Amino acid sequence: MKSTWPTWLLTKRTLVQFPRNPMVLGFSVPPVLIMFLVFGALFASVRHLPGFPTDNYYEYLAPAAVLMTTIPGIANSAVALATDFQNRYLYKLLTTPASVGSIMLGRLLADGARLFIQGGAVLLLALALGAQIATGFAGALLMLLIGTLFAIVTFGVLTANLALKTKDPAAVQAVFPMAFLLIFLSTAYQTTDQIESGVLRAIIDANPTEYVLRAMRGLMLTGYDWTAIGVAFLVILGLGLLGLPFTIRNYRSVYR
Amino acid sequence: MQTTTSSGLAPRRQPEARLIELLSSDLPRRSARSGRGPDRLGGPDAIVAEGLGKRYPNGIEAVRGISLRVGTGEIYGVLGPNGAGKSTTIGILGTLVRPTSGRAAVAGFDVVAAPKDVRRNIGFAMQEVGLDELATGRELLVLQGRLHGLSRREAARRADLLLELVGLESEANERIAGYSGGMKRRVDLASALIHLPPILFLDEPTEGLDPRARTAIWETLERLNAVLDATVLLTTHYMAEAERLCARIGIIDRGLIVAEGTPAELKGAVGGPNATLEDVYLRVTGRGFAAEETLPAELTANNGREAA
Repeated sequence: MKSTWPTWLLTKRTLVQFPRNPMVLGFSVPPVLIMFLVFGALFASVRHLPGFPTDNYYEYLAPAAVLMTTIPGIANSAVALATDFQNRYLYKLLTTPASVGSIMLGRLLADGARLFIQGGAVLLLALALGAQIATGFAGALLMLLIGTLFAIVTFGVLTANLALKTKDPAAVQAVFPMAFLLIFLSTAYQTTDQIESGVLRAIIDANPTEYVLRAMRGLMLTGYDWTAIGVAFLVILGLGLLGLPFTIRNYRSVYR
Repeated sequence: MQTTTSSGLAPRRQPEARLIELLSSDLPRRSARSGRGPDRLGGPDAIVAEGLGKRYPNGIEAVRGISLRVGTGEIYGVLGPNGAGKSTTIGILGTLVRPTSGRAAVAGFDVVAAPKDVRRNIGFAMQEVGLDELATGRELLVLQGRLHGLSRREAARRADLLLELVGLESEANERIAGYSGGMKRRVDLASALIHLPPILFLDEPTEGLDPRARTAIWETLERLNAVLDATVLLTTHYMAEAERLCARIGIIDRGLIVAEGTPAELKGAVGGPNATLEDVYLRVTGRGFAAEETLPAELTANNGREAA
């Protein structure tokens, strides 16, 4: 059996079960939409500053709001993985030819699909608030793809590893605030020009989220900046490769 | 030929009969779909363990050199007190626990070197049921079958049959979260059977079941063994279960097999025709390793004597 087949079966399992756990959907979308509205209103005057790239602050904020949806949202995969450990279903799956990798990836891909759609809801709200997407529908899809893939390889892999290691949903939930650090330590809310602290600028430059955000914002505000898009995919690939050895090591810890 | 009822309808055949029909069909069920050949350690035996040991990272040595052989088609029972090493042993054989010493082969495949090949050939019902509570019983079985390579149609057909067999046909489309403990145990066992594995590992399979459900499980296992020639390794605390099902029994204590033989041999060894398996169990485990001295040499495992 090809390893992609169990991954697909397990992805499908999760997709079918989403509506059975309405709390996940019900509580994950509204807070981001509310945050989008509140932050948009709070910082709207920023758009009047010289050099700000758009007249509509929601346009500037929308890519960050997409990341605000996808990055914390992907941690649900890890919580579900840890829950499968706790109710011992994961061990039942491990007695089949499916690998730990398939089980983990199946979960991440299903949640990725969910977050892709939820991120789309954020963009729809932005459009409703007068924002425009410079690259149109195709650019919006690319923006959502970048946001979702980045969430999977960063916070998704990090929290899934934590689930493999601790087998405890509470431990996974404890790292949720880190997701917000990834986003806040970027130009999510204002441009680099407006940030006075040199230290903060250096941190922003070192934060991989910033490079993904730049590509997404380019798609939103200006057009296809293939250099920025290429950098974003390189960041995603690099982080994926970085997480691989830890993931392999934690795979092994599953077998006691 | 089937007879008809007064209503003119053919009577519904028992699920057991249909299971037998299913098992007798030419479905591919024993093939080890791997390019690698079986491990020679396996030989003609379905399960072979040689000097298996497991020391957990916390220093606990749960298994201290267990050797056993289970022939194809044999039902082998493992008895022992809580914490004796039964679940660790069955976990190693089922590829969920890595041994720290010794080696084992299941269906001819080394459990460490070729775990996927082992998994293709086994069904495993664990001591604590492992279920996805958001799924329905039917969905759980179908997914399990699909992960074992069955087509959608075949997985669905077998799921319906097995759910009927374990008496859950009317709850098949209900979520497992709403099942009682006994129902969960039965659907868990059914999920271990969906791919009709030639080797079954059952860790206390009837724990917590009422007598009727327990008897139904016993009958199912006997049929599977008879029709499929399935090899079964089960752990249990129920002497009646071991006595009814098992051709041979190994008693594990403190990580070692301290006695092994047929139920008759074990009972004969502790004296008299009136001896029960419980007498054997209490004598062997109640006296620790010294008890081995009171049993005939042919019934005490070599590994047990070495460790003692």
